[in-house]
Amino acid sequence: MSSLLYRTEEKGGLAMSFLGLIRENGVYLLGAMGKTLELTLLSLIFAAFIGLFFGLLNVSKSRVCNTIANVYIDCIRGVPLIVLAFFVYFGIPMATGVRLDALTAGIISLSMNAGAYMAEIVRAGIQSIDKGQMEAARSLGLPYSKAMCRVVLPQAIRVMIPSIINQFIITLKDTSILSVIGFPELVKAGQIVIARNFETFKMWAIIAVMYLVVITTLSKTARALERKISYGKN
Amino acid sequence: MERTSKISIKGLRKSFGHLEVLKGMDVEIGEGEVVCLIGPSGSGKSTFLRCLNALETITAGEVIVDGYDLTDKKININKVRENIGMVFQHFNLFANLNVIQNIMLAPVELKKITKEEARKKGMELLAMVGLEEKAEVYPSKLSGGQKQRVAIARALAMNPDIMLFDEPTSALDPEMVGEVLEVMKSLARDGMTMVVVTHEMGFAREVASRVIFMDEGVIVEEGTPQQVLLNPTQPRTIDFLNKVL
Repeated sequence: MSSLLYRTEEKGGLAMSFLGLIRENGVYLLGAMGKTLELTLLSLIFAAFIGLFFGLLNVSKSRVCNTIANVYIDCIRGVPLIVLAFFVYFGIPMATGVRLDALTAGIISLSMNAGAYMAEIVRAGIQSIDKGQMEAARSLGLPYSKAMCRVVLPQAIRVMIPSIINQFIITLKDTSILSVIGFPELVKAGQIVIARNFETFKMWAIIAVMYLVVITTLSKTARALERKISYGKN
Repeated sequence: MERTSKISIKGLRKSFGHLEVLKGMDVEIGEGEVVCLIGPSGSGKSTFLRCLNALETITAGEVIVDGYDLTDKKININKVRENIGMVFQHFNLFANLNVIQNIMLAPVELKKITKEEARKKGMELLAMVGLEEKAEVYPSKLSGGQKQRVAIARALAMNPDIMLFDEPTSALDPEMVGEVLEVMKSLARDGMTMVVVTHEMGFAREVASRVIFMDEGVIVEEGTPQQVLLNPTQPRTIDFLNKVL
């Protein structure tokens, strides 16, 4: 710590304190955090639909549906997100001539990636619900889809909440990978600021703390939510 | 006496993989009959019962319920099931819904009646099973006996002609068996066609119009409770009854 202070002195005021850096770049970094959250949220909404779709295919009785779901899940999980992002952002325009902006490409890559993990969360959630629930619903004459939507899924979602929160956090952190396609999320913003002021240590520390605060808040809120919807069980 | 046949089964076979659980069963069940299925565990009683509403796929044979051939792929199985109530060993109340919602779900979802009518009917059914005051309670707060009575009310909400009971008292504490059997007895008195897999020999003797003893996927002996329970002729029946009575 003392050497840090010393070096600050040595550079004769050119180097800034933490507070000074925050004052100068705070608004910009918060904006980038906003972009990060926007990207995460949009991707996760799409991922939820993708996950629900493939998760339901995976628990269906049809072998064909199971195979389709497994191929998707295996392919996506077998490819690093950064490769997927490059493929969507650079590869697809090259092949089709359709240019995607960084946000769209980012959302597509993240949704596809998180969707595969969500599919597994959905599958595990549904399978954790006692088979008797589905059988009882079907025995009353409810079609499979109604039994699933009204009885099984509402219970499965409760089971899934901790895993969904976990996926939210992973996806939030994964947005940083999209700095490679130039999307101005928090990491990219940090790189831009550092390119200007060379405050590598302090800037990355500030960015780390920003992630930490947001993620901790999210997981605490989510845990409170989880407790709230336990059906008369407590 | 001759009654209209509600359930007609010919040569019913059911296999799980290489294991044949039902090895050709023929049963006729008339309207208003109460048929009790007894037999050692693993004899195929529950599987047989689950074939009657196609919860199990039928490997071979013919199962005609209410005039619908369940082996016919073209029938709408959901329509058939609306008319067959089922009560399970482990209750299977919907954990995400409270008692009255459990009862109302199927009638409302299947657009049989409006929400208000369904609630009214549900409360009547709850009164019948003596649980009106539990309408807004979640299943996790009920005792086993209460759960099973709600499950019976839920099955009755669709106005079924046939009720299937799969060991309805086997998961209950002994002091709660009576309250569930009482509800079943009153149903039987009202002329409901019932098929009951049970270990309650007292219930079978008192209520059943016919008792079927099953072992290893076949019917070993059937007849009135008097015949099967008190004067069995088959050595396997005698052996089983000696063990349980």
